[in-house]
Amino acid sequence: MITGTGITKTFSRRGGVLGGREVPALRGVDFAIEKGGAASFIGESGCGKTTLGRILAGLESHDSGEITIDGVPMSSLTPRRRQPYFRRVQLVHQDPYSALNPTRTIHQTLSAPLSLRARQMERAGTGRPRSWIGERAEELLSLVGLDPGYVLPRYPHQLSGGMRQRVVIARALTVDPEVLVADEAVSMIDVSLRLGILALLKDLRDRLGVSVLFITHDVATARYIGTDGELYVIYRGQVVERGPVETVISAPVHPYTQALLSAIPVLHGLETPGEQRVVPTEALDASRHDRGCLFAPRCPFRTARCESERPVLGHDGGTPQEHACFHPEARTVVAVPVSHS
Amino acid sequence: MAAEQSSEQSSDRSSAPGVRIRGLSVVYRTGAGELPAVSGIDLDLPPGTITGVVGESGSGKSTLALSLLNAVQPPGRIAAGSVEIDGLGDVAALHGDGLRRARGRHIGYVFQAAQNSLNPLKTVGGQLLDLGRSHGMGRSHGPDDLRGLVREARGLLDRMGLDGARVLDSYQHELSGGMRQRVGIMLALVLNARVVVLDEPTTALDMITQATILRIIREVHEERGLTTLVITHDLGVVAEVADNLAVMYGGRLVEQGPTGEVLGDPRHPYTRGLLAAIPRLAGDIGEARALPGRPPTLDSVPADGCVFRERCALRMEVCETGRVPVVSWGSRTAVCHAVQGAREDVKQTVTAGTVTAGTAIADMGEEQA
Amino acid sequence: MSVTVVPAAGASATVRRNFWRGVWRVMRRKPSRMVGAAIVAGFALMGIFGPLLYPDPLPRDTQALYAPPSWRHPFGTDFEGTDVLALVVTGARYVLLTAAVTAVITVVLGTAIGLFSGFKRGRWDSVLMRLTDMKLTIPGLPLLLVLSTIWKFTGAIEMGLVLGLLGWGGVARAVRSQTLSLRERGFIEAARGLGLSTGHIVGRELLPSMAPYIAMNTLIAVTGAVYAQVGLFFLGVLPFEANNWGVMLNLAVFGGGALTTTAALPYLLAPLLAILLLTLGIVLVVDAMDEIFNPRLREE
Repeated sequence: MITGTGITKTFSRRGGVLGGREVPALRGVDFAIEKGGAASFIGESGCGKTTLGRILAGLESHDSGEITIDGVPMSSLTPRRRQPYFRRVQLVHQDPYSALNPTRTIHQTLSAPLSLRARQMERAGTGRPRSWIGERAEELLSLVGLDPGYVLPRYPHQLSGGMRQRVVIARALTVDPEVLVADEAVSMIDVSLRLGILALLKDLRDRLGVSVLFITHDVATARYIGTDGELYVIYRGQVVERGPVETVISAPVHPYTQALLSAIPVLHGLETPGEQRVVPTEALDASRHDRGCLFAPRCPFRTARCESERPVLGHDGGTPQEHACFHPEARTVVAVPVSHS
Repeated sequence: MAAEQSSEQSSDRSSAPGVRIRGLSVVYRTGAGELPAVSGIDLDLPPGTITGVVGESGSGKSTLALSLLNAVQPPGRIAAGSVEIDGLGDVAALHGDGLRRARGRHIGYVFQAAQNSLNPLKTVGGQLLDLGRSHGMGRSHGPDDLRGLVREARGLLDRMGLDGARVLDSYQHELSGGMRQRVGIMLALVLNARVVVLDEPTTALDMITQATILRIIREVHEERGLTTLVITHDLGVVAEVADNLAVMYGGRLVEQGPTGEVLGDPRHPYTRGLLAAIPRLAGDIGEARALPGRPPTLDSVPADGCVFRERCALRMEVCETGRVPVVSWGSRTAVCHAVQGAREDVKQTVTAGTVTAGTAIADMGEEQA
Repeated sequence: MSVTVVPAAGASATVRRNFWRGVWRVMRRKPSRMVGAAIVAGFALMGIFGPLLYPDPLPRDTQALYAPPSWRHPFGTDFEGTDVLALVVTGARYVLLTAAVTAVITVVLGTAIGLFSGFKRGRWDSVLMRLTDMKLTIPGLPLLLVLSTIWKFTGAIEMGLVLGLLGWGGVARAVRSQTLSLRERGFIEAARGLGLSTGHIVGRELLPSMAPYIAMNTLIAVTGAVYAQVGLFFLGVLPFEANNWGVMLNLAVFGGGALTTTAALPYLLAPLLAILLLTLGIVLVVDAMDEIFNPRLREE
């Protein structure tokens, strides 16, 4: 189990004559991912969801807050001793084209982390025969739905995008991770192949007990990974709504969540649009607004209080999910299928 | 809903040019000889409508869009067919100066990733003036022409919800993705083109920005009386914006018709599979089904028979070779043996006088699924 | 299971075999590459075996000083009546050995410093890059002139060592910028996330991606070294103890007056032709490097 409390991260961007500008990427984010569970982070690009994934995979450091992995607070460890913990969190990149080394065959790509794993197990007294690496590579490729005989001797450029993404997942599995962080893992894959990758991630949850942290802008895919999962809606580095996937989608209470869900195209003919769709007001330079509620400049329901005070995550108004809004109101914004009678 | 919107539009629309694509084939020269990227496309863009072309990678949708401008780059070339545009003639037969004038004046094109296609070293206004000059403005027509161009550009940007004067004065890096996309649309329309091609107009944009851009495309289309072609991989985009939908696979058109009808009652097994493979926000998520196999590439498209048969659940012996029948009914078309078979059943039922054609097809649809 | 398993060693052997087959395929794609490879191989052989073909010292034909080209002396003879072709062939060893040593030092040092600097970033990067900048600002030729007054470059290896130590700056800068862009790529991040060692990441992931680049720089360093040392000998700042193309040029111009009379012209042209041919061969081979080290282009 992995938890985070009050994770903050600020990037300083170099700019103009007046010196740097501080850009907060994460403003005190709390989360918890159960073993075998699913958590999805949704939001627009630049909202901080990718940064969070990278922090969890140990690729980026955070400024303050505490991450605990299996009950061990990371701040209590030296960077070197932290590494094995972060290795239990593996990142599946968005771009399957740059995620694999073009000069190495799939066999080489998989055997490097596997031989590392073999050495670790030897040290732990559970030594494996030499043939284990090859066997395990085949086993993992079969697990992700690929034909090892075909894939192993090939270079990445000889595989399709969907196959590459499966190889990337197999590589992440070489170190027996507890959490897979899938950052927009299907956005660069052909539409007809996306569901296959999503189904694989879902299947890995069931078969290996791997938890999946799903980072996406496409809420429907988050729903496919696990209807039992937790949904986090992030706006400009702050979690504005958090709750069970189905609850947040069917009855969102934060205006930002409502705007985000309202923006999802409706398949007219198959679906009828939600009745209370929310269209955010367009504000120039909303990103410079730092007082009060972060969403206030674009919020159609804002009041004077929203401009001066920042709401915090909670169950105000007795909603089943947590939210950070002074005026929570459940609205039906999502399109519903046309019933065939 | 898109179809409803189209019925209540302005008078301007009657003057919009129609586009007729006939027997269009585009081939690419490769080590293995000339391979077809697009073959035998027949597609009408009725005046004043938005047509959406949907396809995955390798479906030939971008090549089709480039053909509309006769801008297929070597090693590709238009091997056969014509692209007739009202008031312009066959674009495929144009070349040199005539073609250059047609681009911009008659056909506006918003390129894929238009967000990144601006010159980073010039202001938007500077690029606008370049565009005007390259179309002969400011030389023979006097400086008023360019002033008019800037006025027109500012008007368009204001219309799209931006501060036109400020945007014209900005460099690329000072604009957000959604703003750049609007600049791209402005540059395509500013020379008064009446046929507009948008290639993947919303990829890499956020959901909320995407919704805004789609709304703007629809509104500008109505107001200026355009004939619009939207190319995308995203059925949702087409569903939001297009009156008509054409589905491409392996370089062929496999199904087309009014958007609502095709989405509500898809016939081609590929369209059905594609729709089933998209997870939705409501309803039983467990109903989503992955489409087996993967889309063909230029060199793996079957030369004979149906291009989709490798992945098709309804594959029959007739699909292996020969031409696939084009089945038309009402305003719809599907290219599939199975659909044809079902249509013949329907005709028989209709003669028997028991059910109407519509319900019979729906029934047959349920069986197939 | 044991039947279906592909043994690890077997698979990598296949890969390696495919590599050389791929190289052969790439070279055959353009005849110019084969010509280039033949020229480079020819010079290498000349450098290794050339001196063995002739007696040492070379015979002098005092009857034929500055003899014009003939069947006996294809490029004529020099001021002592020694065959010019023999001089070129035996002189190749010094020139090519220096060039090889220079190239190895330039590339190894440049790559190592560039990789380390780009991969570690931070303080090490600043220090190493300031050092590189300083090195790049020192003009090479004047420094060599100064050095030659205190140090006699008697051996080819010493010569190469000095040229190499002076020449790694450009490669280091270039490799560093490549490293900086590559380290942001997904596969490097994945390797870090998997906990693979720095040695593995640098040696197995980064280096192969830069191989075409490094190979090209090696070959270009060879030509650079040839020009540099020939130039030094030509200027006469170094004592000529060994036989050398630069020495030949010097004697032809300053001794034989090749620029004013035609008698010594073949003596001048022969080493120039050798340098030209070597450069041509290298340029033709460099053309293939990108395709050799990029699996996608190689396997096509």
